[in-house]
Amino acid sequence: MFSFDALCAQVFNGIQFGVLVALLATGLSLIFGMLGIINFAHGSLYMLGAYFVWSFVQLFDFPGNFWFGIIIAFFLMALMGIIIERGLLRRMYGQPEVYSILITFGLLLVIQQGVGLSYGTIPLPLPIPSILKGEVNLGLFEYPLYYIFTMGLGLVVIFAVWFFIERSSLGAVIRACAEDPEIASTLGVKTRNVYTLTFALGAALAGLGGTLHGPMIGGLQHTIGGEILLICFIVVVVGGMGSIRGALLAGVLMGVIRGIAGLFWAPASEFVLFAAMGVVLLFRPQGLLGRKMGV
Amino acid sequence: MKGAIKLYHRVGLPFIILAIILFIVQPILPSEMMAAEILIMAFPTLAFILLFGYTGQLSFGTGSLFAVGAYTTGILLARYDAHVLLAILAGIIVTGIIAAVVGFFCIRQAGLIFALLTLAFNQLIWFIIWQWRSFTGGPDGIWGIQRSAINFGLFSVNIKPSFNFYLLVLIFFLLTFLFVQRLIESPFGKVLQGMRDSELRATAIGYKPITYKWTSFVITGMICGLGGTLFALHQEYVGEHVANWMTSGEVVIMALLGGTFVLYGAIIGSGAFIFLSDFLNQFTALAKAGGWLFVLGIIFILVVMFLKGGLYGGGGTLYTWLREKLASPPLEPSNPEEHTRTGS
Repeated sequence: MFSFDALCAQVFNGIQFGVLVALLATGLSLIFGMLGIINFAHGSLYMLGAYFVWSFVQLFDFPGNFWFGIIIAFFLMALMGIIIERGLLRRMYGQPEVYSILITFGLLLVIQQGVGLSYGTIPLPLPIPSILKGEVNLGLFEYPLYYIFTMGLGLVVIFAVWFFIERSSLGAVIRACAEDPEIASTLGVKTRNVYTLTFALGAALAGLGGTLHGPMIGGLQHTIGGEILLICFIVVVVGGMGSIRGALLAGVLMGVIRGIAGLFWAPASEFVLFAAMGVVLLFRPQGLLGRKMGV
Repeated sequence: MKGAIKLYHRVGLPFIILAIILFIVQPILPSEMMAAEILIMAFPTLAFILLFGYTGQLSFGTGSLFAVGAYTTGILLARYDAHVLLAILAGIIVTGIIAAVVGFFCIRQAGLIFALLTLAFNQLIWFIIWQWRSFTGGPDGIWGIQRSAINFGLFSVNIKPSFNFYLLVLIFFLLTFLFVQRLIESPFGKVLQGMRDSELRATAIGYKPITYKWTSFVITGMICGLGGTLFALHQEYVGEHVANWMTSGEVVIMALLGGTFVLYGAIIGSGAFIFLSDFLNQFTALAKAGGWLFVLGIIFILVVMFLKGGLYGGGGTLYTWLREKLASPPLEPSNPEEHTRTGS
């Protein structure tokens, strides 16, 4: 029916896709852990990051423009996150979280349709930077260099975020705020700034995910954010809300399952994600690596 | 304010006014089918308000249940030439069954995860509709739904003309509205609202939240389904896009626009939404690429931030403010008797 090589390639593909999704899910998870909201605009920030790099590459034609674009997009999305948090979400603290979610849903519409209005609906191809074109021989199969690169970079970034949150002193402050904002503020932590920082970090990760994923999807469209958002939600639910390791584990797991299922029957590739989520929710409602929530 | 709303609920005067307005409004609206469309979209919005405003659950799955009802009726009418009322009934029942399955998974989770799960199930249903070509037509949708006469044996009613069809939708809507109104006033509804305010307390008193939530989820699902069945009759076509989560999103916008604390928000919201989208689509610059959703998104954010009660709540606040302004006592000191009368 299919060869061993194809299976390996699919597993590899799955890991690669899973790492990218985990990058987004990490940001989503961080925002959830801190602000207690699900960010519906996460997919839109991902899309915005990809569109920014596309514009940057179109405007400035010099060697390495893609890399500059990625770095600028990262910080630009962080700025965007700050604006969103300070301008909109901050006003909603103290009210039921549902309203914050609804605001991010409104943002999704505004950003998505705004990009659709200004860039049109025709898919815009974002080329792979010339240094990373070509394939690498992995013994069993040839694999595109760019895919390997994104996988590596994604893992490094996720590890860096994990290290930052779990091991650095600022990370300790962030964790303290997530645990108990009131006591943290009594100890002199400016919790509001920590909220902003967390949201900015999450938004920047979403933007980075978009820029890295951009060249792999045939062409950029303003709806790509919505498609990836759902997979991210599933990954976050399966991995456990607020857990970075959970996001990575679930992301890779889901990617591999999706890849293998697609080998047997193409339409099943999306279906198994839902099935896996259903199973996890039935037997472990808090997610694979999530802690049971007190609320 | 709240007391007044409660009293009005019991009296039912607004309901009568609503019924009269809805009865005469159809020919006034800009297009023939607009009134029916507003009423049809008010069904899932009503269901959303029941879930969100009265049980505190944010559902992003109303669109898919709406689509299940639409597809059931559509398939029964287009392929099996079923009786219209039978097709509507089947649509409600099938949606109820699907809602029971979806609800089984969703209601176990609180708040935010519930929202995520309903969204995921919404996309799952969409995905099945999209892939199951032989049964649902996949991307092509269901064609050939005939809005023919309803045969009652002794006589038959032609629902092809837009006004006749509107009356059919109106009857269903008013019945559903009354049912929901009774439901939230019933002990069952009171338990739901009690659980919204404090689930712990409701559990401590001895109610089982799971059972109540599940039942309410199935009921709201059936209301969505009823809307969907009428939608299939209205459009005489069902496409896969109905099941996509943007439909659920639109329902969320409608509900928040109209006001989620009161059932009338459903009809106000769907009316305002459809009017607005109709208005915005007149501008060619906005009609392409769904730019009207861009404007609606901005309006939506503003409503969520500054007008929690939606248009209904905003109107109510304006009304009380105006009345206080008009009824405020004159500046010179008046005799105490008169003062107490205006004050009460």
